[in-house]
This record gives sequence, structure tokens and C-alpha cells, in this order.
Amino acid sequence: MAIIEVDSLTKRYPLPNKKSEAFLAVNAISLRIEEGEIYGILGPNGAGKTTTLEMLEGLTDIDSGIALIDGIDVQENPYAVKQRIGVQLQANEYFDGVSLVELLTLFAALYDRHVDPLALLDRVNLRDKANAKPTQLSGGQQQRFSIACALVNDPKVLFLDEPTTGLDPQAKHNLWALIRELNNGGMTIVLTTHNMEEAETLCNRIAIMDHGSLVAEDTPQALILKHAPEPPSAPIHGDIEDVFLALTGHGLRD
Amino acid sequence: MLSTLQLHLARVFLKIFLRDRQSLFFSLFFPAIFMTVFGFANNNEADSVRLAVANNAGSPVAGRFIDALESDELFDVSLGDEEKLRSGLLGGEYSLLIVLPAAFNNAAAGAELTLVVDAAQVRELGLIMPVLEQKLLAIEHELRGTTPLFTLTLEDVKARSQSYLAFLLPGLMAFTLMQLSIAGSGFNIVEYRRKGILKRLFVTPIKPSDFITAIVLARLIIVLVQLTVLLLYAVFVLNISLVGSYSAFYFIILLATLIFLCLGFCLGSIAKTQQAIMAIGNLVIFPQMFLSGVFYPIESMPALLQPLARVLPLSSVASAMREIANNGATLLEILPSLIGIAVWLILAFVLATRLFVWKEVAH
Repeated sequence: MAIIEVDSLTKRYPLPNKKSEAFLAVNAISLRIEEGEIYGILGPNGAGKTTTLEMLEGLTDIDSGIALIDGIDVQENPYAVKQRIGVQLQANEYFDGVSLVELLTLFAALYDRHVDPLALLDRVNLRDKANAKPTQLSGGQQQRFSIACALVNDPKVLFLDEPTTGLDPQAKHNLWALIRELNNGGMTIVLTTHNMEEAETLCNRIAIMDHGSLVAEDTPQALILKHAPEPPSAPIHGDIEDVFLALTGHGLRD
Repeated sequence: MLSTLQLHLARVFLKIFLRDRQSLFFSLFFPAIFMTVFGFANNNEADSVRLAVANNAGSPVAGRFIDALESDELFDVSLGDEEKLRSGLLGGEYSLLIVLPAAFNNAAAGAELTLVVDAAQVRELGLIMPVLEQKLLAIEHELRGTTPLFTLTLEDVKARSQSYLAFLLPGLMAFTLMQLSIAGSGFNIVEYRRKGILKRLFVTPIKPSDFITAIVLARLIIVLVQLTVLLLYAVFVLNISLVGSYSAFYFIILLATLIFLCLGFCLGSIAKTQQAIMAIGNLVIFPQMFLSGVFYPIESMPALLQPLARVLPLSSVASAMREIANNGATLLEILPSLIGIAVWLILAFVLATRLFVWKEVAH
């Protein structure tokens, strides 16, 4: 059963230098994300990944198209959707001088819930930092804490925007383990990434976006079979990076 | 009326404020320090003049003259040998040396007293000479058994001392509440946006009204506590009395805080960066600091500026608070200021609700 259904989702922004003209940040994207999937969205910078997520999260207005999460229309009933989703944003700074436990209690209060902050910190392996401030955490710890904040309402869908960007390999693998664990508990996870290994090994299915459009969507294996250029002599297949470059080209983006 | 969510968020805002030691220090102690410094700088009791007297006469008249000098608060009298006092004068120990001649008694007519001064202290002489002359005149009257033809009596028309400090207190309180309020809404919103906190809050089910209520509640508490501390300090340490009703005074504080919180929400919605809010914030704060009669009365400003000064929100607030604090005015008596406050409150509230659009401000 699809937990997220997106049909012809479109977002226009005015051009920075010519206000009268608009460019399509997201161009009529249609997706179906199944319950219990780990779904990855790949794309070069400016491809429209974050804008797509922000439209699903209710942060950005939808210009046209329909987005349903758990059967609820995002535009018509944003507050009902917010109750069912957990969100980790790219920027994850919090109020100064407030401890992890206090922040988790606050986030729970925003959902009108009571949580056991220490149990939540246990899930992301941060119990020993309970009274620390977010600024005192390492990059990997900050990401795990952001995920803990996104879990206070026991969401059905968890959105992660570039969760492993800037992390060292240990922190990255640690975070993947956490994401798998959450997924094993039945949570649907939608993430954006620039990390090909992440897309290939973590995600059940991936969508590749470029210039606001969806250029491919399938399981990593199917995409490799279909798009990776087969080396003429060697029997080895390419990897997702080859697929990505074959589909979006080698040109540098900002 | 208030939801647990709003109370919880307000409590977090209060915690943030209390844990930020640096700004806590500046916002809580700066106005108090400021008042203390002004209190000393404008102390009505001038430093006493260090006066040396070389008594070469030793007559009862000389003794009475010295007694008269010693009983005057203006002078700090030292007695001694002329040579020693002269060198003391050169060394800066004394400002002035009076040499009483041997002939200073009631028998001699027209004894001449010598004043020895340091040229650097000459500026004070214009004040000291008449006092000395008056003392001599008093003794002369006494000795000759005559009564003076004319005397001066001082009468305070308001029958209470209106010191500069008493004038300053309400203005400074108004200024402090303006700064705390604008910082509380405007500056904080820009900071929360820059850090992505507003975006993060937006994806939770919190309503903008909850967020605004929490900020307003937390800031009201901060402002009330802060101003009360300042007021207690002024009343009990600096001995300034609040003449009017405390409830009227706090009523104005409450309305004023709401005005500047609303204006802060407007500024925080317009300014997108930290630099922008600093610039716009100062544009709002600084002219009011100098034009709104905080440090000196609006009446003493150039006539051209006065009408402009009077329409500023802080002018209405400061003058209302001052009328209550210094002159014991009732709310009815300060109706013009109250109207000014009401107009600004409505204006600021309408502007704030127009400009503070949750989704746009979060981005």
C-alpha cells in the first residue's frame, strides 16, 4: 500500500535576476512510496530534491499537483499530516542553552504528547549526552539527535534531508544502522542524498531527479542493469555512480 | 486560556534568557549601573572646598569666624601654621588659604584678610568669595549689634526635590522595556530563522499563535521582573520616590511592552539577516533614545523637532510613566499620552499580523 502518493507535483520560483519569469524547481513529479520502504531521492545540487521534500512536509506551498500522505491531502489538511510525519532538516541547530532532554520534552509538547526523553536518547545512542547542549555534540551525534527529535510523535513517515552529508565513515555507518533499525520497526523513510553508496545499499528504491524532473525511479539493482554502461570486455557491472553520471551528465553544478 | 503547549514554550524561552549570562548581565544590570553613575554625576552636594586657615590673630572674633566656616558644609577647614599651609596649598592639599592678620579683632577697624589661591583653582573663587564675604558680614552685624536690612529665604515651589535622577528613572525604564521587547521578538526571530529553528518548528503541529503567545508571555515576565528590580533599586537604594499609583504605572508598562513586541515582530519579519535586523533595529531604537524625552525633556529640544518627537511611541510611553511617577498623575490626567499609546498599539498589532506570516517568516 502506498503511504505517499504524489501526482504532478509542481513548484515555480521567480528567477533571481528576472522576477517576471519563473523557473520550474519541481516539474510535474509523480511518485508512489510504499509503506515500510526506504526511499532515496538523488540528484545534483539544484535538482529540486529539497523543494520536493519541503512540499511534502508542508513547508513550501504546492503550486499544482496533489500530494497525499497516509491518504491525507497535504494542502488541505497540513496539521493532520504534521502529526504523522517526522522531519529532519538540513540545518539542525536548536535553541541555545537548552539541553537534549529539555529539547525532546519541548518537541513532544509541540505534539501535545509526553515522551520519555531518555528512552528516545537510548534509541539514538545518546543517553550519556542527556544534559549536554546540541552545540556540544559532534556532527554524527547532532544528526542522531535530530532524528530523535523527529521521533517524538512516533511518526509513520520519516523525512531525512541529506542525513549523512559531512559525516565521517564511522558516523555514516552508525547512522545507516539507526535508519535500518527504524525501518525494521515499520517506519517508512524518505531521504535525499548525494552519497551513492547510501542510495545503493540503504534504499529499497531510488528516484533520480535532474532540473526539477524525475529522470528514473526503480530499485538500485534494476537501475544498474538498465543504465550503467556495461564495460565491453570486463564482466563487472557498473555501480549507482555510473548510473547517476550517465543520467545527469558530467557537467559541474554550482 | 493559555494552553500547556504555550506555557511550556514560554518556559523554554525564559530558560534561554536566564541561561544567557552575558545578555542577562547587560539587560539586568546595565540600567542599574547607568542610574547609579548618573546619580553620582548629578549629586547636588558639590565636593567641599578644602580650605586652610592660618590664624595669626588668636582673638575671639577670629575663633568665631573659624567656627562659622567650619559649620558650613561648603568648606572642609584645616588649621595650622601659615608656612606649612602655604606649602600644602602648593602641593594641592588645599584649594584656598585664608590668612587672618594679627589685627583681626573687634577693636581694629578694617582688618585685611589675605586669600592665597592656586591659579588652577581660580574657577571656584567666584563661588567662594561671596560666601566668605557673607560670613564676615554676619559676624560684623553680630559684633555691632545691628540686624541686616535684607535677608533671603529659599522656598521650594513643588515642596519636594525633583532631582535629575527622579526625572531619569521613568524614561530609563521606558527605554529598557523598549529594548527588551524589540530584542525579544525582532532580534530573536531573525536568530531562530537563521538557525533553521523556525523551519523546524513549522513542520510540527504548533500554530503561529502558540509561538507568538509564548514569546509575548515570556517577554512580559522578563520585562516586568526587570523593571521591578530597577524600580526597587531606585526606590530603596537611590531613594527616589514614585509619587503616583503603582498599578497605573504597571498598566502603562504592560501596554508599552505589547507595542514594542508587536513592532519587534514587524522588524523580525522584514529583516532577513542578522545585519539587517541590527540596522533596522537601531533605526527604530536610536532616534527614540534621543528624541523621546528619555534623558532630557522634549520641551528643551529645538522647536522644529518637537512635533516629530511627540509622535514617537516611546515619547507617549515615557511621558505617561513620568507623569505618574513624578507628578502622581492619574490615568485620566494623562489621556493624551494614553491615546498615543492606544494608537501605536493598534497600529503595531495590525502591522505585525500582516507582516508575520508563519510560512514566509520560517524560510
